[in-house]
Amino acid sequence: MSKVTSLRDAVASVPSGSHVSLSGFATARCVMAFAHEVIRQGIKRLTVSQCVGGMDADIMVGAGAVERIVYGGGSRGRSGQHHCICRAIEGGTLVTEELSSLSMTFRYLAGSLGLPFIPIRSLNGSDILKRLQEIIPPVVSSVKDPFTGEEWLLLKPLEPDVSVVQVQVADEDGNAWILGPRWDNEEQVKSSKRAILFTENLVSTETIRRYPERTLIPGFRVSHVVHLPFSAHPTSVYSAYDFDKAHIKTYADASKTPEGFQAYLDEYVLGVEDHWGYLEKVGGMKHLSFLLADPTLGY
Amino acid sequence: MTSELEYTPFELMAAAGARELHDGEIVGVGLGLPVVASFLAKRTHAPNLTILLELGVVDPEPLEVGVDGLSDPRIWYRAKVHTSFADMLGSVLHKGLVDVGFLGGLEIDVYGNLNTTLLGDPKGKFRRFTGSGGGNDIASNAQRTVITIRHEARKLNEAVSFITSPGFLHGGDERSRVGLRGGPSRVITDKAVFGFDPESKRMRLESIHPGTSLEDVLENMNFKPLVPKELPFTEPPNAEQIHLIRVEIDPNKAYAGS
Repeated sequence: MSKVTSLRDAVASVPSGSHVSLSGFATARCVMAFAHEVIRQGIKRLTVSQCVGGMDADIMVGAGAVERIVYGGGSRGRSGQHHCICRAIEGGTLVTEELSSLSMTFRYLAGSLGLPFIPIRSLNGSDILKRLQEIIPPVVSSVKDPFTGEEWLLLKPLEPDVSVVQVQVADEDGNAWILGPRWDNEEQVKSSKRAILFTENLVSTETIRRYPERTLIPGFRVSHVVHLPFSAHPTSVYSAYDFDKAHIKTYADASKTPEGFQAYLDEYVLGVEDHWGYLEKVGGMKHLSFLLADPTLGY
Repeated sequence: MTSELEYTPFELMAAAGARELHDGEIVGVGLGLPVVASFLAKRTHAPNLTILLELGVVDPEPLEVGVDGLSDPRIWYRAKVHTSFADMLGSVLHKGLVDVGFLGGLEIDVYGNLNTTLLGDPKGKFRRFTGSGGGNDIASNAQRTVITIRHEARKLNEAVSFITSPGFLHGGDERSRVGLRGGPSRVITDKAVFGFDPESKRMRLESIHPGTSLEDVLENMNFKPLVPKELPFTEPPNAEQIHLIRVEIDPNKAYAGS
Protein backbone atom coordinates (compact mmCIF):
# COMPACT_ATOMS: atom_id res chain seq x y z
CA MET A 1 0.00 0.00 0.00
CA SER A 2 1.36 3.39 -0.91
CA LYS A 3 1.77 5.79 1.99
CA VAL A 4 3.15 8.54 -0.21
CA THR A 5 1.38 11.78 0.60
CA SER A 6 1.81 15.52 0.28
CA LEU A 7 3.63 17.58 2.89
CA ARG A 8 0.32 19.21 3.74
CA ASP A 9 -1.55 15.95 4.39
CA ALA A 10 1.28 14.41 6.39
CA VAL A 11 1.49 17.44 8.68
CA ALA A 12 -2.30 17.68 8.97
CA SER A 13 -2.26 14.19 10.51
CA VAL A 14 -0.53 15.62 13.59
CA PRO A 15 -3.06 17.17 15.98
CA SER A 16 -2.17 20.12 18.23
CA GLY A 17 -0.98 18.82 21.60
CA SER A 18 0.84 15.79 20.14
CA HIS A 19 4.23 14.53 21.29
CA VAL A 20 6.48 14.65 18.22
CA SER A 21 10.05 13.35 18.17
CA LEU A 22 12.32 14.94 15.57
CA SER A 23 15.28 13.41 13.74
CA GLY A 24 17.51 16.49 13.62
CA PHE A 25 20.87 16.88 15.35
CA ALA A 26 22.18 20.48 15.40
CA THR A 27 22.54 21.15 11.65
CA ALA A 28 22.11 17.62 10.29
CA ARG A 29 18.97 15.85 9.01
CA CYS A 30 16.57 18.32 10.62
CA VAL A 31 12.97 18.03 9.38
CA MET A 32 12.75 21.65 8.27
CA ALA A 33 9.98 21.27 5.67
CA PHE A 34 7.87 19.60 8.38
CA ALA A 35 8.64 22.39 10.87
CA HIS A 36 7.72 25.09 8.34
CA GLU A 37 4.41 23.39 7.48
CA VAL A 38 3.55 22.94 11.19
CA ILE A 39 4.00 26.69 11.54
CA ARG A 40 1.93 27.45 8.40
CA GLN A 41 -0.91 25.17 9.56
CA GLY A 42 -0.92 26.80 13.01
CA ILE A 43 -0.41 23.56 14.93
CA LYS A 44 0.19 24.38 18.61
CA ARG A 45 0.97 22.98 22.07
CA LEU A 46 3.34 20.32 20.77
CA THR A 47 5.69 18.37 22.96
CA VAL A 48 8.92 18.04 21.00
CA SER A 49 11.61 15.52 21.88
CA GLN A 50 15.04 14.76 20.44
CA CYS A 51 18.47 13.80 21.79
CA VAL A 52 20.33 16.92 20.77
CA GLY A 53 18.48 20.10 19.85
CA GLY A 54 18.22 20.77 16.12
CA MET A 55 17.16 23.69 13.95
CA ASP A 56 13.82 21.91 13.42
CA ALA A 57 12.99 22.24 17.13
CA ASP A 58 14.35 25.78 17.36
CA ILE A 59 12.19 27.24 14.61
CA MET A 60 9.03 25.57 15.94
CA VAL A 61 9.77 26.84 19.46
CA GLY A 62 10.37 30.35 18.07
CA ALA A 63 7.04 30.27 16.22
CA GLY A 64 5.15 29.31 19.39
CA ALA A 65 4.16 25.83 18.20
CA VAL A 66 5.83 24.07 21.12
CA GLU A 67 4.65 23.90 24.72
CA ARG A 68 7.21 21.49 26.07
CA ILE A 69 10.65 20.29 25.00
CA VAL A 70 12.25 17.05 26.15
CA TYR A 71 15.86 16.95 25.00
CA GLY A 72 19.52 16.52 25.90
CA GLY A 73 20.55 20.12 25.33
CA GLY A 74 22.51 21.18 22.28
CA SER A 75 23.46 24.04 20.02
CA ARG A 76 24.22 24.61 16.36
CA GLY A 77 27.87 23.87 17.09
CA ARG A 78 30.15 26.57 15.70
CA SER A 79 27.22 28.51 14.29
CA GLY A 80 25.94 29.37 17.73
CA GLN A 81 23.18 28.69 20.20
CA HIS A 82 19.59 27.78 19.40
CA HIS A 83 18.45 31.32 20.18
CA CYS A 84 14.71 30.62 20.14
CA ILE A 85 14.99 27.67 22.55
CA CYS A 86 17.36 29.61 24.86
CA ARG A 87 15.09 32.67 24.82
CA ALA A 88 11.98 30.60 25.55
CA ILE A 89 13.71 28.84 28.46
CA GLU A 90 14.97 32.15 29.88
CA GLY A 91 11.53 33.73 29.43
CA GLY A 92 9.74 30.79 31.05
CA THR A 93 7.47 30.26 28.03
CA LEU A 94 8.72 26.73 27.34
CA VAL A 95 8.35 23.79 29.71
CA THR A 96 11.70 22.03 29.67
CA GLU A 97 12.63 18.49 30.53
CA GLU A 98 16.37 18.51 30.00
CA LEU A 99 18.53 15.42 30.05
CA SER A 100 21.68 14.27 28.21
CA SER A 101 22.20 12.48 24.89
CA LEU A 102 22.42 9.01 26.43
CA SER A 103 19.62 9.46 28.95
CA MET A 104 17.35 10.58 26.09
CA THR A 105 18.41 7.55 24.04
CA PHE A 106 17.78 5.23 26.98
CA ARG A 107 14.28 6.68 27.43
CA TYR A 108 13.49 6.01 23.75
CA LEU A 109 15.14 2.60 24.01
CA ALA A 110 12.98 1.66 27.00
CA GLY A 111 9.94 2.90 25.06
CA SER A 112 10.96 0.85 22.04
CA LEU A 113 11.29 -2.31 24.14
CA GLY A 114 8.06 -1.78 26.03
CA LEU A 115 9.94 -1.63 29.34
CA PRO A 116 8.46 0.28 32.31
CA PHE A 117 11.78 1.98 33.23
CA ILE A 118 15.49 1.84 32.50
CA PRO A 119 18.49 2.24 34.84
CA ILE A 120 21.40 4.56 33.95
CA ARG A 121 24.72 5.73 35.43
CA SER A 122 24.65 9.17 33.75
CA LEU A 123 23.08 12.22 35.45
CA ASN A 124 23.95 11.11 39.00
CA GLY A 125 25.38 13.96 41.08
CA SER A 126 24.47 16.60 38.48
CA ASP A 127 22.15 19.60 38.64
CA ILE A 128 20.45 18.16 35.55
CA LEU A 129 19.17 15.38 37.81
CA LYS A 130 18.10 17.86 40.53
CA ARG A 131 15.89 19.66 38.01
CA LEU A 132 14.44 16.41 36.70
CA GLN A 133 13.55 15.40 40.26
CA GLU A 134 11.33 18.49 40.54
CA ILE A 135 9.11 17.42 37.61
CA ILE A 136 5.59 16.21 38.42
CA PRO A 137 4.52 13.55 37.54
CA PRO A 138 7.98 12.06 38.07
CA VAL A 139 10.28 11.15 35.19
CA VAL A 140 13.14 9.84 37.35
CA SER A 141 13.26 7.48 40.32
CA SER A 142 15.70 5.03 41.85
CA VAL A 143 15.86 1.38 42.79
CA LYS A 144 18.13 -1.00 44.64
CA ASP A 145 19.61 -3.55 42.22
CA PRO A 146 18.00 -6.83 43.37
CA PHE A 147 21.16 -8.74 42.39
CA THR A 148 23.93 -6.58 43.87
CA GLY A 149 22.16 -4.19 46.24
CA GLU A 150 23.61 -1.15 44.40
CA GLU A 151 21.45 1.96 44.10
CA TRP A 152 20.49 2.85 40.49
CA LEU A 153 18.87 5.89 38.94
CA LEU A 154 15.80 5.03 36.83
CA LEU A 155 14.37 6.88 33.85
CA LYS A 156 10.82 6.84 32.58
CA PRO A 157 10.42 5.68 28.95
CA LEU A 158 9.47 8.10 26.19
CA GLU A 159 6.68 7.05 23.85
CA PRO A 160 6.04 9.84 21.32
CA ASP A 161 2.80 9.98 19.35
CA VAL A 162 4.78 10.31 16.16
CA SER A 163 8.41 10.35 15.02
CA VAL A 164 9.23 12.63 12.11
CA VAL A 165 12.39 11.46 10.40
CA GLN A 166 14.48 12.65 7.48
CA VAL A 167 15.91 9.70 5.57
CA GLN A 168 17.84 9.32 2.33
CA VAL A 169 16.01 6.33 0.85
CA ALA A 170 12.49 4.90 1.29
CA ASP A 171 9.94 2.98 -0.72
CA GLU A 172 6.26 3.90 -0.89
CA ASP A 173 5.48 1.60 2.07
CA GLY A 174 8.03 3.40 4.29
CA ASN A 175 10.82 0.83 4.39
CA ALA A 176 13.78 3.16 4.81
CA TRP A 177 17.54 3.50 4.97
CA ILE A 178 19.41 6.10 6.99
CA LEU A 179 22.91 6.65 5.61
CA GLY A 180 25.69 7.98 7.82
CA PRO A 181 25.51 8.16 11.61
CA ARG A 182 21.93 7.88 12.86
CA TRP A 183 22.21 9.12 16.49
CA ASP A 184 18.89 8.33 18.25
CA ASN A 185 16.67 7.95 15.17
CA GLU A 186 16.13 4.18 15.28
CA GLU A 187 15.13 4.21 18.97
CA GLN A 188 12.89 7.26 18.37
CA VAL A 189 10.96 5.55 15.60
CA LYS A 190 10.63 2.28 17.49
CA SER A 191 9.38 3.96 20.68
CA SER A 192 6.77 6.03 18.79
CA LYS A 193 3.23 5.02 17.90
CA ARG A 194 3.98 5.77 14.23
CA ALA A 195 6.45 7.58 11.99
CA ILE A 196 6.28 10.17 9.22
CA LEU A 197 9.21 9.91 6.81
CA PHE A 198 10.71 12.63 4.65
CA THR A 199 12.80 10.99 1.98
CA GLU A 200 15.25 12.38 -0.50
CA ASN A 201 14.85 9.37 -2.79
CA LEU A 202 11.77 7.23 -3.38
CA VAL A 203 12.79 3.77 -4.57
CA SER A 204 10.95 0.62 -5.59
CA THR A 205 10.21 -2.10 -3.05
CA GLU A 206 12.32 -4.29 -5.32
CA THR A 207 15.34 -2.16 -4.36
CA ILE A 208 14.48 -2.51 -0.66
CA ARG A 209 14.15 -6.31 -1.01
CA ARG A 210 17.49 -6.49 -2.76
CA TYR A 211 19.36 -5.01 0.24
CA PRO A 212 17.20 -5.96 3.26
CA GLU A 213 20.13 -5.62 5.68
CA ARG A 214 20.10 -1.88 5.01
CA THR A 215 16.51 -1.33 6.14
CA LEU A 216 16.65 0.55 9.44
CA ILE A 217 12.99 1.55 9.57
CA PRO A 218 10.45 -1.11 8.54
CA GLY A 219 7.38 0.07 6.67
CA PHE A 220 4.92 -1.28 9.23
CA ARG A 221 5.96 1.51 11.65
CA VAL A 222 5.36 4.26 9.09
CA SER A 223 2.09 6.10 8.43
CA HIS A 224 3.19 8.68 5.81
CA VAL A 225 6.01 8.97 3.28
CA VAL A 226 6.73 12.45 1.94
CA HIS A 227 9.03 12.52 -1.07
CA LEU A 228 10.43 16.02 -1.12
CA PRO A 229 13.84 17.21 -2.25
CA PHE A 230 15.86 19.42 0.12
CA SER A 231 13.30 18.86 2.88
CA ALA A 232 16.09 19.28 5.47
CA HIS A 233 17.49 22.49 3.98
CA PRO A 234 19.42 24.46 5.30
CA THR A 235 20.69 21.47 7.32
CA SER A 236 22.62 18.60 5.74
CA VAL A 237 21.54 15.16 4.58
CA TYR A 238 24.59 12.91 4.44
CA SER A 239 25.39 11.73 0.91
CA ALA A 240 22.61 13.91 -0.54
CA TYR A 241 23.51 17.55 0.19
CA ASP A 242 25.70 19.67 2.43
CA PHE A 243 24.41 22.14 5.00
CA ASP A 244 23.87 25.65 3.66
CA LYS A 245 26.34 27.67 5.67
CA ALA A 246 25.18 31.03 4.31
CA HIS A 247 21.50 30.40 4.98
CA ILE A 248 22.20 29.00 8.45
CA LYS A 249 24.01 32.26 9.18
CA THR A 250 20.99 34.21 7.90
CA TYR A 251 18.79 32.24 10.31
CA ALA A 252 21.31 32.47 13.17
CA ASP A 253 21.57 36.27 12.82
CA ALA A 254 17.81 36.77 12.42
CA SER A 255 16.87 34.55 15.36
CA LYS A 256 19.02 36.53 17.81
CA THR A 257 16.02 38.81 18.45
CA PRO A 258 12.26 38.09 18.45
CA GLU A 259 11.80 40.80 15.79
CA GLY A 260 14.48 39.36 13.54
CA PHE A 261 13.04 35.89 13.97
CA GLN A 262 9.54 37.11 13.06
CA ALA A 263 10.92 38.80 9.94
CA TYR A 264 12.60 35.52 8.97
CA LEU A 265 9.32 33.62 9.47
CA ASP A 266 7.40 36.21 7.45
CA GLU A 267 9.84 35.95 4.58
CA TYR A 268 10.76 32.26 4.41
CA VAL A 269 7.91 30.36 6.07
CA LEU A 270 4.65 32.33 6.21
CA GLY A 271 5.41 34.36 3.09
CA VAL A 272 5.63 31.31 0.85
CA GLU A 273 2.93 28.92 -0.33
CA ASP A 274 4.77 25.68 0.35
CA HIS A 275 8.17 23.97 0.36
CA TRP A 276 8.69 24.73 -3.34
CA GLY A 277 8.13 28.42 -2.65
CA TYR A 278 10.72 28.21 0.14
CA LEU A 279 13.29 26.58 -2.14
CA GLU A 280 12.77 29.35 -4.71
CA LYS A 281 13.08 31.97 -1.99
CA VAL A 282 16.45 30.66 -0.76
CA GLY A 283 17.88 30.76 -4.28
CA GLY A 284 16.22 27.96 -6.24
CA MET A 285 18.03 25.42 -8.36
CA LYS A 286 20.90 27.78 -9.08
CA HIS A 287 21.75 27.96 -5.38
CA LEU A 288 20.77 24.45 -4.27
CA SER A 289 22.66 22.55 -6.94
CA PHE A 290 25.92 23.76 -5.39
CA LEU A 291 24.99 22.02 -2.13
CA LEU A 292 24.72 18.57 -3.72
CA ALA A 293 27.04 16.07 -2.08
CA ASP A 294 30.11 14.51 -3.60
CA PRO A 295 29.27 10.77 -3.61
CA THR A 296 32.62 9.79 -2.08
CA LEU A 297 32.84 12.52 0.54
CA GLY A 298 29.17 12.37 1.50
CA TYR A 299 29.00 16.20 1.77
CA MET B 1 65.55 23.88 20.08
CA THR B 2 61.78 23.67 20.25
CA SER B 3 61.63 26.73 22.50
CA GLU B 4 62.55 28.88 19.52
CA LEU B 5 59.56 27.67 17.52
CA GLU B 6 56.64 30.02 17.08
CA TYR B 7 53.37 28.45 18.20
CA THR B 8 49.96 29.65 19.35
CA PRO B 9 48.39 28.93 22.76
CA PHE B 10 45.86 26.74 20.92
CA GLU B 11 48.65 24.64 19.43
CA LEU B 12 50.29 24.24 22.81
CA MET B 13 46.95 23.16 24.35
CA ALA B 14 46.33 20.71 21.51
CA ALA B 15 49.79 19.18 22.02
CA ALA B 16 49.26 18.99 25.80
CA GLY B 17 45.87 17.36 25.19
CA ALA B 18 47.32 14.86 22.72
CA ARG B 19 49.91 13.89 25.34
CA GLU B 20 47.10 12.69 27.64
CA LEU B 21 45.96 10.09 25.08
CA HIS B 22 47.83 6.81 24.92
CA ASP B 23 48.23 4.39 22.06
CA GLY B 24 45.55 1.71 21.97
CA GLU B 25 43.04 3.68 24.03
CA ILE B 26 39.43 4.52 23.16
CA VAL B 27 38.63 8.23 23.40
CA GLY B 28 35.19 9.85 23.40
CA VAL B 29 35.67 13.29 21.87
CA GLY B 30 33.73 16.49 22.49
CA LEU B 31 33.50 19.50 20.22
CA GLY B 32 36.40 21.90 19.59
CA LEU B 33 40.00 21.57 20.72
CA PRO B 34 39.53 17.91 21.82
CA VAL B 35 38.86 17.04 18.16
CA VAL B 36 42.16 18.58 17.02
CA ALA B 37 44.14 17.13 19.96
CA SER B 38 42.76 13.62 19.37
CA PHE B 39 43.63 13.63 15.68
CA LEU B 40 47.06 15.00 16.59
CA ALA B 41 47.68 12.12 19.02
CA LYS B 42 46.53 9.61 16.42
CA ARG B 43 48.84 11.09 13.77
CA THR B 44 51.86 11.01 16.11
CA HIS B 45 52.41 8.76 19.14
CA ALA B 46 49.03 6.97 19.27
CA PRO B 47 48.28 5.47 15.83
CA ASN B 48 46.06 2.81 17.43
CA LEU B 49 43.85 5.32 19.22
CA THR B 50 40.14 4.74 18.53
CA ILE B 51 38.27 8.02 18.21
CA LEU B 52 34.53 8.00 18.91
CA LEU B 53 32.06 10.77 18.13
CA GLU B 54 28.93 10.45 20.25
CA LEU B 55 26.40 10.69 17.43
CA GLY B 56 27.69 7.42 15.96
CA VAL B 57 31.09 7.73 14.28
CA VAL B 58 34.08 5.42 14.88
CA ASP B 59 37.63 6.24 13.83
CA PRO B 60 37.09 8.82 11.09
CA GLU B 61 39.94 10.25 9.00
CA PRO B 62 38.61 13.63 7.92
CA LEU B 63 40.28 15.75 5.25
CA GLU B 64 39.41 18.76 7.39
CA VAL B 65 37.84 18.91 10.85
CA GLY B 66 34.85 20.83 9.55
CA VAL B 67 33.27 24.02 10.74
CA ASP B 68 30.02 23.02 12.33
CA GLY B 69 30.87 20.70 15.18
CA LEU B 70 29.98 17.04 15.42
CA SER B 71 27.05 17.38 13.03
CA ASP B 72 29.32 18.55 10.19
CA PRO B 73 29.68 15.53 7.85
CA ARG B 74 33.28 16.58 7.13
CA ILE B 75 34.31 15.03 10.43
CA TRP B 76 32.59 11.69 9.64
CA TYR B 77 34.72 11.07 6.56
CA ARG B 78 36.43 7.68 6.15
CA ALA B 79 35.00 6.38 9.44
CA LYS B 80 35.12 2.63 10.04
CA VAL B 81 31.61 2.57 11.51
CA HIS B 82 28.59 4.82 11.22
CA THR B 83 26.29 3.89 14.08
CA SER B 84 24.16 5.38 16.86
CA PHE B 85 24.08 7.02 20.30
CA ALA B 86 22.85 3.73 21.77
CA ASP B 87 26.00 2.09 20.44
CA MET B 88 28.60 4.84 21.12
CA LEU B 89 27.31 6.20 24.42
CA GLY B 90 25.56 2.98 25.43
CA SER B 91 27.37 -0.22 24.54
CA VAL B 92 30.80 1.44 24.50
CA LEU B 93 30.73 4.33 27.02
CA HIS B 94 28.09 3.19 29.53
CA LYS B 95 29.55 -0.31 29.52
CA GLY B 96 32.89 1.15 30.59
CA LEU B 97 35.01 0.75 27.45
CA VAL B 98 35.87 4.43 26.95
CA ASP B 99 39.31 5.08 28.47
CA VAL B 100 39.29 8.85 28.09
CA GLY B 101 36.50 11.36 27.76
CA PHE B 102 37.81 14.58 26.23
CA LEU B 103 35.63 17.63 26.82
CA GLY B 104 35.59 21.38 26.48
CA GLY B 105 33.93 23.52 29.13
CA LEU B 106 32.34 26.88 29.74
CA GLU B 107 32.98 27.03 33.50
CA ILE B 108 34.83 24.66 35.83
CA ASP B 109 35.37 24.54 39.58
CA VAL B 110 38.05 23.41 41.99
CA TYR B 111 36.70 19.82 41.95
CA GLY B 112 36.52 19.61 38.16
CA ASN B 113 32.74 19.97 37.92
CA LEU B 114 31.78 21.39 34.52
CA ASN B 115 29.03 23.80 33.61
CA THR B 116 27.81 24.11 30.01
CA THR B 117 24.23 25.00 30.90
CA LEU B 118 24.12 28.52 32.37
CA LEU B 119 26.17 31.50 31.28
CA GLY B 120 26.57 34.16 33.99
CA ASP B 121 26.75 37.79 32.87
CA PRO B 122 28.38 40.72 34.71
CA LYS B 123 24.97 41.84 36.05
CA GLY B 124 24.61 38.55 37.89
CA LYS B 125 21.88 37.27 35.56
CA PHE B 126 22.10 33.87 33.96
CA ARG B 127 21.64 33.11 30.33
CA ARG B 128 20.86 29.72 28.90
CA PHE B 129 23.77 27.97 27.16
CA THR B 130 24.24 24.62 25.38
CA GLY B 131 23.45 22.12 28.14
CA SER B 132 24.80 18.60 28.18
CA GLY B 133 24.52 16.82 24.85
CA GLY B 134 26.78 13.84 25.49
CA GLY B 135 28.97 15.83 27.92
CA ASN B 136 27.30 14.55 31.09
CA ASP B 137 27.37 10.97 29.79
CA ILE B 138 31.08 11.12 28.95
CA ALA B 139 31.99 12.79 32.26
CA SER B 140 29.92 10.21 34.19
CA ASN B 141 31.00 7.02 32.43
CA ALA B 142 34.54 7.38 31.02
CA GLN B 143 37.46 5.83 32.96
CA ARG B 144 39.01 9.32 33.13
CA THR B 145 38.25 12.74 31.72
CA VAL B 146 40.48 15.41 30.19
CA ILE B 147 39.03 18.90 30.07
CA THR B 148 40.11 21.97 28.12
CA ILE B 149 38.94 25.46 29.03
CA ARG B 150 40.06 29.05 28.55
CA HIS B 151 42.04 30.47 31.43
CA GLU B 152 39.80 33.34 32.54
CA ALA B 153 38.79 34.13 36.12
CA ARG B 154 35.06 34.03 35.31
CA LYS B 155 35.46 30.47 33.99
CA LEU B 156 37.55 29.11 36.89
CA ASN B 157 35.47 29.33 40.07
CA GLU B 158 35.43 27.77 43.55
CA ALA B 159 31.98 26.35 42.68
CA VAL B 160 30.18 26.29 39.33
CA SER B 161 26.70 27.80 39.02
CA PHE B 162 25.33 24.57 37.53
CA ILE B 163 26.83 21.08 37.49
CA THR B 164 26.15 19.83 33.96
CA SER B 165 28.95 17.23 33.94
CA PRO B 166 30.18 16.06 37.34
CA GLY B 167 33.82 16.10 38.34
CA PHE B 168 34.54 15.14 41.94
CA LEU B 169 31.37 16.98 43.16
CA HIS B 170 32.37 18.28 46.64
CA GLY B 171 35.61 16.30 46.70
CA GLY B 172 36.82 13.27 48.64
CA ASP B 173 35.00 10.10 47.58
CA GLU B 174 31.66 11.77 46.82
CA ARG B 175 31.92 10.97 43.13
CA SER B 176 32.20 7.22 43.58
CA ARG B 177 29.56 7.30 46.34
CA VAL B 178 26.93 8.59 43.90
CA GLY B 179 27.79 5.74 41.52
CA LEU B 180 29.93 7.52 38.94
CA ARG B 181 32.96 5.95 37.27
CA GLY B 182 36.37 7.58 36.72
CA GLY B 183 36.68 11.34 37.11
CA PRO B 184 38.70 14.24 35.72
CA SER B 185 42.43 13.59 35.39
CA ARG B 186 43.66 16.75 33.64
CA VAL B 187 42.45 20.28 33.02
CA ILE B 188 44.30 22.09 30.25
CA THR B 189 43.97 25.87 29.93
CA ASP B 190 45.86 28.35 27.77
CA LYS B 191 48.13 29.13 30.75
CA ALA B 192 48.61 25.87 32.64
CA VAL B 193 47.93 22.16 33.10
CA PHE B 194 46.19 20.96 36.26
CA GLY B 195 45.65 17.56 37.87
CA PHE B 196 43.77 16.62 41.04
CA ASP B 197 44.96 15.78 44.56
CA PRO B 198 44.32 12.04 45.07
CA GLU B 199 42.75 12.53 48.52
CA SER B 200 40.92 15.87 48.62
CA LYS B 201 40.29 15.85 44.83
CA ARG B 202 41.03 19.58 44.69
CA MET B 203 42.68 20.90 41.54
CA ARG B 204 46.47 20.96 41.63
CA LEU B 205 48.86 22.75 39.28
CA GLU B 206 51.01 20.33 37.28
CA SER B 207 52.82 22.72 34.93
CA ILE B 208 52.59 26.27 33.60
CA HIS B 209 53.05 27.14 29.96
CA PRO B 210 56.25 28.80 28.72
CA GLY B 211 55.83 32.58 28.62
CA THR B 212 53.51 32.75 31.61
CA SER B 213 54.19 32.94 35.35
CA LEU B 214 52.69 31.47 38.50
CA GLU B 215 51.35 34.93 39.41
CA ASP B 216 49.68 35.28 36.01
CA VAL B 217 48.10 31.81 36.34
CA LEU B 218 46.77 32.45 39.86
CA GLU B 219 45.59 36.02 39.21
CA ASN B 220 43.30 34.76 36.50
CA MET B 221 41.50 32.21 38.66
CA ASN B 222 38.75 32.59 41.26
CA PHE B 223 40.05 29.79 43.45
CA LYS B 224 43.45 28.76 44.73
CA PRO B 225 44.68 25.45 43.33
CA LEU B 226 47.24 23.35 45.19
CA VAL B 227 50.70 24.41 44.06
CA PRO B 228 53.56 21.88 44.24
CA LYS B 229 57.03 22.99 45.38
CA GLU B 230 58.54 22.28 42.01
CA LEU B 231 56.54 23.56 39.09
CA PRO B 232 57.80 22.65 35.60
CA PHE B 233 56.96 24.38 32.35
CA THR B 234 54.55 22.59 30.01
CA GLU B 235 56.35 20.94 27.11
CA PRO B 236 55.70 23.06 24.03
CA PRO B 237 54.54 21.57 20.73
CA ASN B 238 57.31 20.37 18.41
CA ALA B 239 57.74 21.21 14.73
CA GLU B 240 55.96 18.05 13.56
CA GLN B 241 52.93 18.71 15.76
CA ILE B 242 52.67 22.34 14.64
CA HIS B 243 52.92 21.27 11.01
CA LEU B 244 50.22 18.61 11.44
CA ILE B 245 47.80 21.00 13.11
CA ARG B 246 48.32 23.81 10.59
CA VAL B 247 48.60 21.84 7.38
CA GLU B 248 46.80 18.55 7.82
CA ILE B 249 44.34 18.55 10.72
CA ASP B 250 42.85 22.02 10.74
CA PRO B 251 44.07 23.74 7.55
CA ASN B 252 41.10 26.11 7.48
CA LYS B 253 41.65 27.13 11.12
CA ALA B 254 38.10 26.06 12.01
CA TYR B 255 39.20 25.56 15.62
CA ALA B 256 42.77 26.83 15.72
CA GLY B 257 41.57 30.32 14.89
CA SER B 258 39.50 30.57 18.05
